[in-house]
Amino acid sequence: MVFNTGAALLDAIVLAVVSRDKEGTYGYKITQDVRKAIEVSESTLYPVLRRLQKDDCLEVYDRQFDGRNRRYYKVTEKGAVQLNLYETEWKNYSSRINGLFEGGETA
Amino acid sequence: MNRIEFMTELAALLQDVPEEERRDAMQFYNDYFDDAGTDKEGEVISELESPAKVAEKIKADLLGQQGGGEFTENGYQERSVNLAKEVPAAREGQAAGQDPGNEGYRCRGDEGSDGYAYEGSAQGNTAYSYDKNPEEKKPWSSNVLKILLIIGIVLVGAPIVIPCALAIIVVAVSCIVGLFCFFFAIVIGFAAIAIIGVVLVCTGLIALIPEIAVGLALIGTGLILGVIGTVGTLAGVKLCIVMIPGIIRGIVWLCRKPFQRKAVA
Repeated sequence: MVFNTGAALLDAIVLAVVSRDKEGTYGYKITQDVRKAIEVSESTLYPVLRRLQKDDCLEVYDRQFDGRNRRYYKVTEKGAVQLNLYETEWKNYSSRINGLFEGGETA
Repeated sequence: MNRIEFMTELAALLQDVPEEERRDAMQFYNDYFDDAGTDKEGEVISELESPAKVAEKIKADLLGQQGGGEFTENGYQERSVNLAKEVPAAREGQAAGQDPGNEGYRCRGDEGSDGYAYEGSAQGNTAYSYDKNPEEKKPWSSNVLKILLIIGIVLVGAPIVIPCALAIIVVAVSCIVGLFCFFFAIVIGFAAIAIIGVVLVCTGLIALIPEIAVGLALIGTGLILGVIGTVGTLAGVKLCIVMIPGIIRGIVWLCRKPFQRKAVA
């Protein structure tokens, strides 16, 4: 991909992926889902998840799965608000870019 | 390289990050391998490239969080918290002005991005970032100042303060010991009187045969002393039972007082 994904966009994508599962989802699945949307190396996602967790946008809990503990991530209320902000911002941003590309007014 | 080698090397490379971070990261990648399954183990390892790369990214992110602006050029320092503050300002559509903190989030090319970059980055944002810095620095500098001041006081005052403190401690300890001794002395004194009384009664009984008057007098005195001694001993023991816990409580309270005052202040 020629455009690189900034941290804010990466945060937004991860929040969006995690928020699709009301019960919460786990690291491997998050990584696979994010990688369906954008090109990103697997090692990039752990720091993002950890940062969102520290910012109280994600909460973690361990649940028994297949005889072992699996860590689940869930979007918090703050995370949902944050995702909402990102979505609004993204809409504004992308519509301006689209407008520019399609030859319309840029303001 | 197999999974165990990968994890071992990652753990070794993460030795210099806080333990909590290390454990969290290890759990994540352990889960990751578990969820990928053994047949995808090689695939995951090649995707993750190397433990060094994984560790580097973890450390880079930790560094970015502490320093706040380590990766300005690729926007990795952009914190979600900041955006929450910026968005309302951006919505109001305030005056133009470049905010350096926003570059990562907005389009990189400054010239070409006039149309939207200016609108979004209002002067209010800069006010945020400028206000935040002194706020963060203040507690730090005042803490350092406090520590320096304490060190200075200790250095200057040590020759006077240490003997004085020692003297106070010695006086306090001797007072406490004295109090205990006083109460024990009461008990022992009365016990002694009781014993004397018993001895006198015995002597009186022996003296009764040769000299009745002396014997009776001795028995009488002995009985009186015995009663006084017994009553006194019992009273003394009772006094100790009442007073000693009280004294101990008082000492504990005195010892705790300086800490309590500290907590309030």
